This record gives sequence, C-alpha cells and structure tokens, in this order.
Amino acid sequence: MDFDLTPEQQLLRDSVAALGRRFGHSYYVDKAKAGEHTDELWAEAAKLGYLGVGVPTEYGGGGGGITELAIVSEELAAAGCPLLLIVVSPAIAATVIARHGTPEQRTAYLPGFADGTLKCCFAITEPDAGSNFHRLATVARRDGDDYVLSGRKVFISGVDESAYVLVVARMADERSGRLQPALFVVPTDAPGLSTTKIDMEIVSPENQYMLFLDDVRVPADALVGGSVDAGLPALFSGLNPERITVAAMGIGTARYALERASSYVAGRSVWGRPVGSHQGVAHPLAHAAVQVELARLMIAKAAHLYDAGRDVEAGVAANMAKYASSEAAVLAVDTAIQVHGGNGMTTEYGVATLMGGVRAGRIAPVSREMILNFVAQHVLGQEKSY
Amino acid sequence: MKIVVLVKQVPDSGAERNLRSDDNTVDRGSANNVINEMDEYAIEEALSIQEKHGGEVVVLTMGPSGATESIRKALSMGPDSAVHVADDALHGSCAVATSKVLAAAIGQLDADLIICGAESTDGRVQVMPHMIAERLGIAALTGARKLTVDGSTLTIERQTEEGYEVVTASTPAVVSVWDTINEPRYPSFKGIMAAKKKPLETKSLADLGVDASEVGFDGATSTVVEHSKRPPRQAGNKVADSGDGGVQLVQYLSSEKFV
Ligand SMILES: Cc1cc2nc3c(=O)[nH]c(=O)nc-3n(C[C@H](O)[C@H](O)[C@H](O)COP(=O)(O)OP(=O)(O)OC[C@H]3O[C@@H](n4cnc5c(N)ncnc54)[C@H](O)[C@@H]3O)c2cc1C
Ligand SMILES: Cc1cc2nc3c(=O)[nH]c(=O)nc-3n(C[C@H](O)[C@H](O)[C@H](O)COP(=O)(O)OP(=O)(O)OC[C@H]3O[C@@H](n4cnc5c(N)ncnc54)[C@H](O)[C@@H]3O)c2cc1C
Repeated sequence: MDFDLTPEQQLLRDSVAALGRRFGHSYYVDKAKAGEHTDELWAEAAKLGYLGVGVPTEYGGGGGGITELAIVSEELAAAGCPLLLIVVSPAIAATVIARHGTPEQRTAYLPGFADGTLKCCFAITEPDAGSNFHRLATVARRDGDDYVLSGRKVFISGVDESAYVLVVARMADERSGRLQPALFVVPTDAPGLSTTKIDMEIVSPENQYMLFLDDVRVPADALVGGSVDAGLPALFSGLNPERITVAAMGIGTARYALERASSYVAGRSVWGRPVGSHQGVAHPLAHAAVQVELARLMIAKAAHLYDAGRDVEAGVAANMAKYASSEAAVLAVDTAIQVHGGNGMTTEYGVATLMGGVRAGRIAPVSREMILNFVAQHVLGQEKSY
Repeated sequence: MKIVVLVKQVPDSGAERNLRSDDNTVDRGSANNVINEMDEYAIEEALSIQEKHGGEVVVLTMGPSGATESIRKALSMGPDSAVHVADDALHGSCAVATSKVLAAAIGQLDADLIICGAESTDGRVQVMPHMIAERLGIAALTGARKLTVDGSTLTIERQTEEGYEVVTASTPAVVSVWDTINEPRYPSFKGIMAAKKKPLETKSLADLGVDASEVGFDGATSTVVEHSKRPPRQAGNKVADSGDGGVQLVQYLSSEKFV
C-alpha cells in the first residue's frame, strides 16, 4: 500500500495551489458578489492544461485520470476558489463523451475539454424527479433525422457560461417501447431552450437555472453514443467522476477554512492568551481536521479505484467519499466561523462566505440520504427502502 | 541561441531554516527544498527568449542528489534538458569553488547566454554571476529588470536604488535577473508529464576535470566558524488607545527619531 502521490501528481498539486493562491478567496468573493464569473482563473487553469488533465492525449488532453482532476479541484478550492464547473464540465461531460461518445463526438468536443475552451453543463434534475431519476419527464422523440426534446430541468449550474448542456432525457426504445435514459448534447442557444435564473443563497460565481425545453430540435448526432443503448452506461460513467471531484472541491474548501481558522486563533487573544490555546476552541478544530483528513483518504481511494478501471468498487468509495467530504466540509466551515467569533460572520475574514457552498454539498449533486440509501442497500445488503 | 539557466535548490525561505550543528552548512535534510525563487525568473526569461528567437534552454544545477526534484520542476516549466553536477566531494564548497565548478560545466555546454537569479535566498552573496563571467572571460550583465536580445547584442536595464542603468554586451555573456523582470509561468500539466522524459545528465567532478581538493571543505576559501540563532524578537510596545493613542504613537516615533 502506498499513500504517496507520484512526483508528477505532487508537482501538479503544488502548481495548481500556487495558481489558486495568486487569485485567492477575495477574487472569488468579489466575482460572486459582482454577479461575474471567475473567467480569468478558468482561462489560466485551462491554458495550463489543468482542466484537461483527464482528457486522452490524442485529443490534446493531459492523459491523466480522475486522480489528477481531483487534485486540481481540491487545490483550487483549498486556495479559496472552489470551481463548481470543474465538477460538471471536465468531470461529468468530458468523461461521458470520452467513454461513450461516437468517434465524431469525441473529435468534436474533446479538444475543447482538453484546452478548457469548451464548457458543457449537465442537466438531470427535474422539479418532479430530483433524487429519483427514474421518473424523468423530459422526453426525446425521433422526428425524421432529428430528435425533439421537451421538458423542464431545475438547478442546472452554469448554463449562462456554457456553450452546451448535456441533457438527460428519456426516449422510447423502438424494440421494447420502454422509456430509456438518453443523453443529448444540446447547444445552450438552441431554439426552444429558455432559462430562468434561480436566486440562491450561496456566495458563488456560478448560477443555477431552470431550463425549459420546448420542442428543442437537435440533429441525430446530438445523441451521445449514437444509440439509445448508450444512455444508461453513459449516464453512470459520469457519476463517479462527479462524486469524486465534488468531494475534492468540498474538502479543499474545508482545508481553506481550517487554515484560516488556525491562523486566526493563534493570533487572536482576548483573555491574554491566544484563543487557540483554549481547548474549547482547539478541539473542535482538531476534530474537524481529523474528519477532513479521513475524507481525503477516501477521495484518494475512490480516485485510485476509478483510474484502475474498477468501476463498481469505485462507486462505493466515491459515494462514501462524497458523503464524508460534505459532512466534514460543513463541520470545518461551521467550526471555522465559530472560532472567529464575530469576525466569522464578516465578508472580510472569508469563512462565512464558504457556508452556502459546503451546505449545498450535502444536497447536491446527490444528497446524503440517497448515499445512505445506497450504502444500506449495496454495502449492508438491506432491502431497497424507496 | 543556446541558453544555460543556473538553478539552485535552496531551503524554502518561507519556512524555518537552519544551519547544521555538525559542519555549519545549510541544513537541507530537515528543510522543504525548493527552486531558489529568483531562478524561476531566470528560467522564465530564458524560455521567453527561446520563444522569440528559437534555440535551446539547458538547466544547470550543482547540488546533492535530492536536487533532482527541483531540476524536474524546472524542466516542467519548459527547458529542453538539464545537467546536474553532483559529487560527494562538493559538500561544504564556498562560493569561489562553486563558481569554478559551474564555469567548468558551462564550458562543456558551449552556451551563448547564461542566465541566473541575482541572488539565492540561502547564501544571498550575489557574487556567482560575476565570478562565473570572470572565469569564462565573458561579460557580466547583472541585476537586470529587463533583457533584450538583438542578434548577438544583449541589452539590460540594471535595477539600481535610484532607477536603472542601460548596459550592453555581446554574447556570450552572463545575465543575472531580479524578480522584477517577468512573471514566471506555472508548470503546465503537459510540461509536468514531459519533464520526466527530458534528458538529465549527471556529471561528477571528474567529468568536469575539477580536482576534488579544489572544492568542498578542503578547497574552501572561507569557513563558517560558528553560528547561532537569531535572538527571539523582543515583544513590541502595544499602544492601547484610550483617547490618547495618536499622541503616544507620535511620542514613540519622535523618541526613536523616526520623525
Ligand atoms: C447548488 C446546486 C447546484 C446544482 N447543480 C445541478 C446541476 O448542475 N445539474 C443538475 O442536474 N442538478 C443540479 N442540482 C440539483 C441537485 O442535484 C438536486 O437538488 C439533488 O439531487 C436533490 O434533488 P431535489 O432537490 O429534487 O431533492 P428531493 O429529491 O426533492 O429530495 C428532498 C429531500 O428528501 C430526501 N429524499 C428524497 N428521496 C429520498 C429517499 N428515497 N430516501 C431518503 N431521503 C430521500 C433528499 O435527500 C432531500 O433531503 C444542483 C443543486 C444545487 C443545490
Ligand atoms: C451579527 C452580529 C451582531 C452583533 N451585534 C452586536 C451588538 O449589537 N453589540 C455588541 O456589543 N456586539 C455585537 N456583536 C459582537 C458579538 O457579541 C461578539 O462577536 C461575540 O461576543 C464574540 O466576541 P468576539 O467576536 O470578539 O470573539 P472572540 O472573543 O475573539 O472569540 C473567538 C472564539 O474564541 C472563543 N473563546 C474566546 N475566549 C474563550 C475562552 N476563554 N474559552 C473558550 N473559548 C473562548 C469564542 O467562543 C469564539 O469561538 C455582534 C456580532 C455579530 C456576529
């Protein structure tokens, strides 16, 4: 067993961390509050190949795995810049296209994922089918050489910044007549596609949208994999990368909060000694640090299993990592706020600004309850409860 | 144009640094060793010249075997190859001896331009560029905040306390740079992956034709006799503001003759 990164992974970690620190949390907060995006950071990370680390080299990517993408996600967050679109665009969309796209789709999209110039968001959640994607009501029907999509999606991140949205719809299987999931790459400016921004209580440069698909017509080659049979495996292939990178982003945020808190309590004294010398302050921070490190281990394990091609084991580990990370991140940020006293609630000290993001991490992209359902059923062998 | 960049591995200047108690040399064992900060600017300068004028960039490091880590990082920024001078006999070398070894290594590389940082964060003596140029019999353009290459003519803006001086020389020459000269790039992921496949040649003193007696503790022209820790910082005076804080501050400043 080996817990060390390769020298290349270590250098990637150091380099991404240095880039992230140059921007920093105040850059992130300023962008969020101004209703802008972190375009400069995205562009620089893209140019350096950090966003395309996992894209195969024949398409101009780095040829690394989800381990590398998780490093990028974690280190930017640990510098105070959690980039949610890493989870959607390079982690989900690029993986789905790389693993299940037709050769033409790979050629069309992967170079853009490799150099980060292409952003593709991901739309699965629906108002009446949140945690239960078997009830998706967005349907696609064949019409001549095209497909026509109609339905509604909710909470879709980054639609305003993305050229494409990967839409999960359902389509009637010609042979069985059953509705099967099918994934479509839809241009965000397609006629019939409209959006409404949802007001969210999260300090984030990324926005969530309602997405209305009103007879959106796409050519046949928009269907991922070119066949309805590709739908379910394509959908599943995006889930582990999503869980692993979102866990990495959460734990990076947690590290950032703990670092801020540790330096604050070491320097702040109100009873003649640093507040950090009180166990009532230090122990909660130490407890959070333990939870964070445990979650990081699970993220590393999940990424390792995924990169080794062991998808089923990776699925268990990725879900556990996602669960552990989001719990640890909420704990770490909440504790960091607490030990800052009143400063914890200010914008300036940059910890309360993290709360909405980590809190959302317990709900999205998969809620803690659904992970516990998964573990109960698949690890503990309990009957399906829903 | 063939450019040699001098890259030194040093203990991270942002962390606790020590000298060894047994032989008074820099303690590398317990330190987090990194590329000397100023050398990253030298690498960047070499790479941007290469981008404009073509040619080749070679990293040259003298240091213990652990320095390969810094060499790989340097290579991940983009240089083509590296030479690592490593020899147990080098331990304890003074600046004069180091310049002899580096000059010998550069001599074997047939360089048009040698770029280095203006100083290292551990030694901070600022003499290496001058001594190397002297040994090679070529010009030293030191302390550059700007470097322009026009054919075989090199022009720098030498940063001074008051402003800058314009100095020119023709190649081959040594140029040392300050951190005002550019903004070093971060290693790209492709650069990181390519670095492990780039040629890294290790040379011994024998390969360079330098006698072991001329370097290390035996050949040192200076000796660290003794060292001690910097005294702990004295607690400062805290001015509690109970209405007269401004007056107290001015009193302090005038008593120390700052105002
Ligand atoms: C910031 C943010 C960004 C998002 N970005 C995207 C995006 O880019 N694309 C996208 O498609 N979606 C996105 N989502 C949506 C997100 O994935 C869903 O909100 C999430 O999956 C939960 O679905 P829901 O909101 O419909 O909750 P519901 O399914 O309505 O669940 C409500 C509550 O009931 C619990 N629950 C539901 N079913 C069960 C059960 N069987 N057993 C136990 N408990 C249960 C849930 O855990 C939850 O606590 C985003 C959400 C947020 C907050
Ligand atoms: C929204 C808001 C409104 C406010 N409104 C008012 C107001 O109207 N009027 C007003 O006067 N103030 C107000 N405050 C200030 C508030 O009362 C203080 O922030 C609070 O008392 C904590 O003090 P502090 O911020 O200096 O934290 P600190 O005293 O610096 O404490 C930092 C951390 O160390 C812990 N700590 C400190 N000492 C010890 C110890 N001996 N043992 C164990 N743990 C310790 C604290 O519990 C905290 O977790 C407000 C604050 C906020 C956030």
